[in-house]
Amino acid sequence: MSFEMWAEKYRPKSLDEMVNQKEIVERLKNFVETRNVPHCIFAGPPGTGKTTAALCLARDLYGDGYREFIMELNASDERGINVVRETVKTFARVRSVGEIPFKIMILDEADNMTADAQQALRRTMERYTETCRFILCANYSGKIIEPIQSRCAPFRFTFLPREEHDRYLQFIAEKENVTLLKEGLDAIFEVCGGDLRKAINTLQAASSFNKPIDAKTVYSIAGRAHPADVQKMIETAMKGDFIEARKQLRNMIQKYGVAGSDIIRQIHTEIFRAEIPEPWKIKLADAIGEIDYRLVQGADEEVQLSALLARLVETGYEMRMAS
Amino acid sequence: MYAAWTVKHKPKSLSEVVGNKDAIQKLVNWVKSWERGIPKKRAVFIYGPPGIGKTVSVEALANDYKMELVEKNASDYRTEDAVKRFAGLASQYGSLFGGKRIVLLDELDGLTGTADRGGVRAITEVVKNAQCPIVLIANDAYNPRLSTLRNYCLLIEFKKPSASDVMKHLKRICIREGIEAEEKALKFIAQRSEGDVRSAVNDLQALAQGRKRLTYEDVSWLGYRDRQESIFNVLRMIIYGRTCIGAKRAVDMADVDMDMLFEWIYENVPAHLNDPHDLAKAMDALSMADVYRGRIRATQDWSFIRYVIDFMTAGVAMARQNSKTSGWIPFKFPQRIKMLSRSKAERGMQLRIGFKIKRKCHISANRAAKEVLPYLRIIFRNNVEMAAGIAKWLELDEDMIEYLAGNKKNAEAIKEM
Repeated sequence: MSFEMWAEKYRPKSLDEMVNQKEIVERLKNFVETRNVPHCIFAGPPGTGKTTAALCLARDLYGDGYREFIMELNASDERGINVVRETVKTFARVRSVGEIPFKIMILDEADNMTADAQQALRRTMERYTETCRFILCANYSGKIIEPIQSRCAPFRFTFLPREEHDRYLQFIAEKENVTLLKEGLDAIFEVCGGDLRKAINTLQAASSFNKPIDAKTVYSIAGRAHPADVQKMIETAMKGDFIEARKQLRNMIQKYGVAGSDIIRQIHTEIFRAEIPEPWKIKLADAIGEIDYRLVQGADEEVQLSALLARLVETGYEMRMAS
Repeated sequence: MYAAWTVKHKPKSLSEVVGNKDAIQKLVNWVKSWERGIPKKRAVFIYGPPGIGKTVSVEALANDYKMELVEKNASDYRTEDAVKRFAGLASQYGSLFGGKRIVLLDELDGLTGTADRGGVRAITEVVKNAQCPIVLIANDAYNPRLSTLRNYCLLIEFKKPSASDVMKHLKRICIREGIEAEEKALKFIAQRSEGDVRSAVNDLQALAQGRKRLTYEDVSWLGYRDRQESIFNVLRMIIYGRTCIGAKRAVDMADVDMDMLFEWIYENVPAHLNDPHDLAKAMDALSMADVYRGRIRATQDWSFIRYVIDFMTAGVAMARQNSKTSGWIPFKFPQRIKMLSRSKAERGMQLRIGFKIKRKCHISANRAAKEVLPYLRIIFRNNVEMAAGIAKWLELDEDMIEYLAGNKKNAEAIKEM
């Protein structure tokens, strides 16, 4: 076993190593061959290879010294307009000294940029096209303003197909000399969807127990790694234990810093997946929508969301009365 | 059912009364002197601050010496006629059953208004001619209106008992209630009370009733308690209020600021509303109060505060329709205030680790803190070898290692690798 983060260690170095997103990889290889890259948007769920594809493209294009020609910015750490004005501009306008006349700016989590910053970015992109190409990575391309979208070549990343997910994890397990049981692999896929980063992190954490990785280990890791278990909170509330549900909510917000807007989005998703009679779901959607709106107006996320939890308690009670 | 501990654990005998040993001895000597005939001063005037055992001492005295206690307080004898009717009669004639009798007129401070002037005069007359011991009790003996009366009385001052005396009493109650209490916790309550035994006992009950253990942690928030009108009463007025006006008035009585009061209400509403419909309504009211707080912030127009008050008080009060009151439910200090400072520091640490991860892993510090760090935590608690490798690779400092490892022992082992 090696002692660094496996998700980083096994990140593909070149487009040829990328196992998934075949069509996208083909188009990117084409960019390398023609030595020309347009502005791009890489959109898709987390852990599907957006950042990896951008890095591989850069390495294939510039060779091992690629770091000199690219810059990575994370919009969620520095999303203000000033970053665009200063950092991005400074990087973009200086002409590259290499044989390729442009540099590449990778803007990660670009959907977290403010609208103002995006407007500023749009002008920068236009002005410095000659010297700099932008790759914007985002979970939702919808959150990127229209003028930027129209200047970029869009790429839609999707979750890894099951076979490729399995093959990749087995490959890592083999290299690291850990035994990954079939049931463990199934559990990882179930817990992580197709999010490869999450899957590899889970695999590594599971391997720290120094025993064959079974389903039980995987589930226990998932439970400990993600206390922000919205589903459990909903269940607790529907069963009628408001105080416990509020405690879980408080933990998510205070201890793990989960944003209220993320929590309510998850509640909304979970409600439609939950095993409750269909007509109640739309009733709950109304309550969720109302609180979602109040979240924007209000001052305190926990207060707003706990009002929603109280509605879940009430609905759970009404459901039991009705049946 | 709920019984106030101040009543339930009231000293039955003078030996159980804490503090004021000299004053009590003086009182006992005077009562005994009646056995040798009517003394020069036919009444004692006990004075001192509230809650230190003045009334309790007289009651215990009557109990110890098997005397019949005839007790009235100010609200019962405001007029001359009323005083004559009972105090006069009680002090003139012997007990119905032939035993000894002691008359107690409590809360004398209550009759200082002009309307009561006749009352004070009547009491003075009663004292002059009393045929049995009379005890007068007031907080302030030097009120000018009582000056004539004072001349006919033996003055006995009750002082605040020391914190260790108060503690003695609290300890006794804990033993009787089967509560294991930390010395430090009781000391804190005792010191907070500043000699007011009654409020100390009330605090103890609010904090300890229904539990097996009482720790310092549990009581430390008492510092917030209002000496004038306790926050508990304010909460009661709101959560159990029947009228909008009544619930709204509670705001004036709280000495905590509006946000803190909101926290108190927000913390305590759920435990006190057991009907799901009521709870949903009350929480909805709090949500609306919060929306108005947001509007204040957005517009900087503080006049909206009145709607915040409407929803957080009257809105909560009107939510109660079907909830049943069952037994005594203590009010709790807002838990998330306690939690806030702790988790703020924790999030700072998480973000610092996030930045370390970011440098190596092409992921934002924010997301690393949320999505990668939890796995590191598991690894650091399970596998010293792997943890040490990752710590070195990420260039984590000692504090970070200790945070991820969860305890010093693990952290030491990792550092040694």
